[in-house]
Amino acid sequence: MNGLLQTLAITTTVGSLLSFQPAAAQVLPPAKKAERVEISRGPELESATNHLTIIRWTTNNPGGSDVHYGIVHYGTDPKDLSQTAKNPIRLNQGHASTTFRVRIYDLKPRTTYYYTVTSEESNGTSDGVKSTVRTFTTPAPGEIIVGARP
Amino acid sequence: MNRRALIALLRMSAIVVFGLVVAPQAVPAEGSPPAAYNPYPPGILPADLQSEIDRVSREVKFIFQQALAEWRALPPPNLTGQPPTLQGSGYDMVQTLGKLMNYDENISVFKNQACASCHMPYAGFSGPIPSVNLTMVAFPGSFHFRAGKRTAQRYTYSPWFPVLQFNETQALFFGGNFWDSRATGYLLQNPDAEQAQHPPVDTQEMGAPDTACIVFRLSQAEYRPLFEQVWGEGALDIKFPPNTEKICSTPGGAAVFGTDTTPVKLSPGDRLLANRAFDNWGQSVDAFEKSKEVSPFTSKFDAVLAGKATLTADETAGYNLFRGKANCNSCHVDGRGTTLNRGQTDNSVTATTNPLFTCFGSANEGLPLNPRNAFYYQTKPDFFGFTPNPFGFGYRDLGLGTFLRSGFGSAPNPNAEWIPFAPTSDGQFQVSTARNVAMAPTQCPTTEAPGPYFQKGFFHNGYIKSLKQLVHFYNTRDEPNFAFPVTSGHCPRGTVERVTCWPMPEVRNNIDMTTGKLGLTDREENQIVAFLQTLTDGFTKPYPNRDTFTGMCMSGGTAATQGNESIIPTPPLPPCVSAICGVAPFPTMPIP
Repeated sequence: MNGLLQTLAITTTVGSLLSFQPAAAQVLPPAKKAERVEISRGPELESATNHLTIIRWTTNNPGGSDVHYGIVHYGTDPKDLSQTAKNPIRLNQGHASTTFRVRIYDLKPRTTYYYTVTSEESNGTSDGVKSTVRTFTTPAPGEIIVGARP
Repeated sequence: MNRRALIALLRMSAIVVFGLVVAPQAVPAEGSPPAAYNPYPPGILPADLQSEIDRVSREVKFIFQQALAEWRALPPPNLTGQPPTLQGSGYDMVQTLGKLMNYDENISVFKNQACASCHMPYAGFSGPIPSVNLTMVAFPGSFHFRAGKRTAQRYTYSPWFPVLQFNETQALFFGGNFWDSRATGYLLQNPDAEQAQHPPVDTQEMGAPDTACIVFRLSQAEYRPLFEQVWGEGALDIKFPPNTEKICSTPGGAAVFGTDTTPVKLSPGDRLLANRAFDNWGQSVDAFEKSKEVSPFTSKFDAVLAGKATLTADETAGYNLFRGKANCNSCHVDGRGTTLNRGQTDNSVTATTNPLFTCFGSANEGLPLNPRNAFYYQTKPDFFGFTPNPFGFGYRDLGLGTFLRSGFGSAPNPNAEWIPFAPTSDGQFQVSTARNVAMAPTQCPTTEAPGPYFQKGFFHNGYIKSLKQLVHFYNTRDEPNFAFPVTSGHCPRGTVERVTCWPMPEVRNNIDMTTGKLGLTDREENQIVAFLQTLTDGFTKPYPNRDTFTGMCMSGGTAATQGNESIIPTPPLPPCVSAICGVAPFPTMPIP
């Protein structure tokens, strides 16, 4: 039996299968930074439920580090946007534009919030873009707001 | 080999192998393992678990015999030159050695589990038991039924991940192996080789209590001569104390060991030899995983890049979505040029010879906690006084964040400079290569219902059961009509979990927002699945041992609701325990 197994194995694998592959792939360098980053759409409310609110906006591709953070500064007083929410997104080096989306949890229902958005590289370097102050109003308990589509 | 021949061969070999190979070594010198550890409520362990473990064991033994035959067919070694090199056959020798190790059940504490027991070729070297993938997610270890906490990650192309680094320019982590990147590669400068060193001494996997036990078993292995030919005469000449077999037949974590991680007492010189041989273990397994037998670049996509095949219309549409509207290639980098607009022609060339469909990074995709995970239920001491998870459902899997804190269930972080990055890494898991995500056995060659299909579990916690669901999750996770503040098993009436209801994320910190609301149609989701299936090796030449599955295919149902019959209600969750979420530096926001 061992002889049979041996013959089987030799005919199916040895030689043709056992050799190394080409050199390991490398981490790609980051994309060249854009000279100027501008918001081309938004910021706007993507959706809001009683537990989760999402803000989204689109810019030209800022380049730089693969991961960027979208940041929302918000509050109920337009002069006090002291609360912050941020989420990472991963740039697509082949895309001309980049959409940032940020999650905000546990807002009060039926409340108007003021906010402004910005973005930065993963090392904290700002993309140099900041929106004007916008507003949204959270839904009543049990309601859902469906806002901007992709 | 066709299936009928394989079955006949397995039947014969089961008898012969049992008589000639297994019986003399199957029972540890100090006796059989005690009764199985079973702290699980009814229904957590799949009903066919033992028979499936036995089935995989037969398959593992079959391939082990195959590897033995390959070893015996190698030409005589010719060590020559300066530095000395195994001229001509060195690659074959080290890869064959790694293959023998990978399929050697004797390495485990009870000599009943090989690396391959959780990583079989027909699943892209991921989990080989469909019912485990469907339910308990983590595979049972050598001491049945201790189990880990995550899905068995695919070997394929894991050797291409670089040493874990914090890239100062990008301010990002790249590389490492394992879902939480804890196999950094810092010492061997090879994360895949260091990955291979973890499961043999993982308490819930192969279970050895000391790395020297692996070397002890290698010193007894039939293929010891090959080890010595590759790594040097005398590499295993170690004076093991008389109680070594007893120690190595007792699983790690046993109370008798206390905090001693080197219970096999060796002289300093012998410990040095054992450490070196254990490094050679990892390096050999890595050589196997890098070989054409595991990572061959033989997919249809590779053939297309070479101009030797053409994608179908749906595959092409899926590829364009993959790198366009769905933005998959922001992380699963395909090495190609820019996304095309209508009317443009793709004249780009690959940026790398072999695109690996990963960015080597990590991300928190916001997966819900999977209450099926066997880890949550291992809250009682086993026969050896070891409790795998004393925190029960108070455990939260923070992935890379916990590793950076050297936290519970991970491994020591060898770089203190990285600790401050834990809060921005909480919930993140390695971005696996998309290659072979769809690999399934020859006779049930898809992961998708109605099949005949092979049930897999996707992502780190196996919450997703089909590629259709995987794409649908990326597409609709953040749809306000789908995203509910509930745990799995508690979706509102009128919704269907994983179809029109996504429970809340287990870890809501650092959720990657590249995806989550893509606006894909149902057809577009299916087209992306079709494209993912072109990344399965075995198109240009047969994938070795993909036909060794002897289990049952599944059939029926739809890919969208695949596995939904196995959903169970998550119990009320206690807060994340302080041993995980209360370790500095603290998470950026509380983890419920």
